[in-house]
Amino acid sequence: MYRRRRARFAYFLILPSLIVITLLDLYPVIEGVFVSLQNQNMMRPNPEAYVGLRHYTRALFEDIVFWSSVGKTLIWTAGSVIGGYIVALCLALLLDRELQGRNFFRALFLLPWVIPDVCTALLWKWLYGDEFGVINFLLLQAGLIETPVQWLANPDMAMGSVIVVQIWKLYPVMFVVLLAALQNVPRELHEAATIDGATTRQAFWYITLPFIRSTSVIITLLASIWTFQSFDVVYLLTGGGPSGATRILPTLIYEKAFWGLEMGYATALGLLMLVCLLAISVAYLFVYRTQRGEA
Amino acid sequence: MEKPAAISRRQALAMGAGGFFALTADEASAQGQTRLTFWTVRLNTPELSAALRGILQQFEREHPNIRITHEPVSGNLVYPKFLTAIRGQTMPDIAEAYSYHPLQFAAVNQMEPMDDIIAEWQANGQLANIFNEFAYRKFYWRDHYWGVPYNLDIRAIYYRKDLLEAKNIAPPTNWEQFQAAVLACHDPRAGVSGLVFPAGNFHIAQHFYMSFMFQAGGSILDREGNLIFGTSAREANVRALTYLTDFATKHRVTPAGIASYNTDEAHTVFLQGRAAFGMGTGGLINRIMRENPSLFDKVGILEVLEGPAGRERKLTAGFYNPMFVWVHSPGKEAAKTFIRWFIRSGRLEPLYQASPGQLWPIFRADVGSERVRSNRLLNEALTKVVPYATDFAYPGYGRPEMGVIDGEKMFAAPVNEVVVGTKTPERAVADAHAEMLRVFNS
Repeated sequence: MYRRRRARFAYFLILPSLIVITLLDLYPVIEGVFVSLQNQNMMRPNPEAYVGLRHYTRALFEDIVFWSSVGKTLIWTAGSVIGGYIVALCLALLLDRELQGRNFFRALFLLPWVIPDVCTALLWKWLYGDEFGVINFLLLQAGLIETPVQWLANPDMAMGSVIVVQIWKLYPVMFVVLLAALQNVPRELHEAATIDGATTRQAFWYITLPFIRSTSVIITLLASIWTFQSFDVVYLLTGGGPSGATRILPTLIYEKAFWGLEMGYATALGLLMLVCLLAISVAYLFVYRTQRGEA
Repeated sequence: MEKPAAISRRQALAMGAGGFFALTADEASAQGQTRLTFWTVRLNTPELSAALRGILQQFEREHPNIRITHEPVSGNLVYPKFLTAIRGQTMPDIAEAYSYHPLQFAAVNQMEPMDDIIAEWQANGQLANIFNEFAYRKFYWRDHYWGVPYNLDIRAIYYRKDLLEAKNIAPPTNWEQFQAAVLACHDPRAGVSGLVFPAGNFHIAQHFYMSFMFQAGGSILDREGNLIFGTSAREANVRALTYLTDFATKHRVTPAGIASYNTDEAHTVFLQGRAAFGMGTGGLINRIMRENPSLFDKVGILEVLEGPAGRERKLTAGFYNPMFVWVHSPGKEAAKTFIRWFIRSGRLEPLYQASPGQLWPIFRADVGSERVRSNRLLNEALTKVVPYATDFAYPGYGRPEMGVIDGEKMFAAPVNEVVVGTKTPERAVADAHAEMLRVFNS
């Protein structure tokens, strides 16, 4: 009786948050589902005409740009998250040691995180510039290249270039979380391993990595979600070009919604993107649980 | 002893409600004033905003019953802002925005027809004073004018007079001369490219292509407003695209990275003296004056080129930007009063002074001002570019679809794709036509 009353009281306490979350999160999704089933072409009268699954079939079976964008979004997400994780882990391992000026570097490495995305894009556009870019200038001065590299103008290089920017944007938060996880790894284990003759690589592989695995899964999952739906960096750096080489799903949806005025179609694309994100999240958590089960 | 007068609960409630309404009542309404919201997209730099403030204050002095609240809208947020406002029915009473906005909003029944203002302008001769009939005809759709033009945004070809003089080359006037001059002035050892133009996947890329398209005899629409980009105009449009992109792909006389350039990058290259010819907006005049004044005397503006289609098609892309009124505005008559007052010869001179070259008047009478006569580049733009400026839909009139074709950069993509080598001009035009057709059939 007492337990049930306690549970009821707990539900009562979370009720306000539940209502707010329902209104702010769930309602837009439900509304989005309705909009995606309507014409919602803002250039035509009767936007609320019901069109069934037409927008979904167009995206999945007719619009070749959609699948190409899905592919590019996956490359963009995987490249950014893997790159960000590696950079963050290396820096976290470095700053987990007793180094002089450690706190200064910890603060310094957080800098990209606090810079707004628009400023980040403008900053990197300047760095990447062919005629007046800092990177090309330094490479030319060092004699490493003879002509400026077309970081953003070459379709084969543009995706890599924007991924580097996203890595720069992403690694600080991963670094902070991984550093916190590293600091929870018991020192005695490392000491024991050293006494037993384990190499640094073995210690990392069999002690450090298992300890930070759950944190790694969570932070890479979050980073994947952030990157998958990230829009500003790509849109401002390349506009989705050159020749569509960086047209990821968020830029496609933005163009269809706000330039093409096809709200219904854009919403359908948004919901398909949500499905992709859910699939990624479920896959992550499945792998995580499987590994935990094995452990 | 007399009891102090007590206030009943009902009286207290009524007083409280009265006080609440008094506090929240619109000050302007209380004084019998009409309060209008005015959204601007182009007039948002500190200089232009300050100039606009002065103009609005003058209006309010002359019309004490109307108050205008100016709200700047970021260029990148124009569509999200307007579309949200349409959905929430919180549109501004008046707005100035992109070329085809009034038609697009009219298509969803949100625009107030402006036929009465056009009729007045016809009667008082103001219409005849406008440079180009396409300036207002572009807003005519389904038997109504949905917007009225208030300013012109030009695209021009700038050139380095000193470099041409050094090589004894006269400013080119047609396609052959232009190509020859660009090739002759290309001097990579001196760090000077023959030509710079923005070919990135941004809206500006299609504006310069459009000029060459017109000059080759091509267009997007025909006179009746039918899509002919990849059909009867295909040959001319391919020819124009080939001519423009050949500078980058065949002759290699542009900076190698133009496929990533937006307006600013192309302007900057020219401003730094790294190109003999540069395609830019009128805003480049302002940047030269402010950022590199020493270049001012070395720069000229080319007369619009004559292409394969001859003198009749000696045209350049220029954009007559609209003002429009929300059909559900409670103060739409006051909004029209403001527009009638605002768009008048001489009225917007403070805006033109605040940012030379960026905005152009639409009235012939305005451009002979001392401001223009005393500034050589403004004068050259006025005589060599403005009279030839026409709009996207030429030779047809407005259609809401043109907003989407422009918005989704459907003919910037061909420039970008050909420059990076992923498509031939023929393929790029055919694909762009297919995309445009989808919009027309949607």
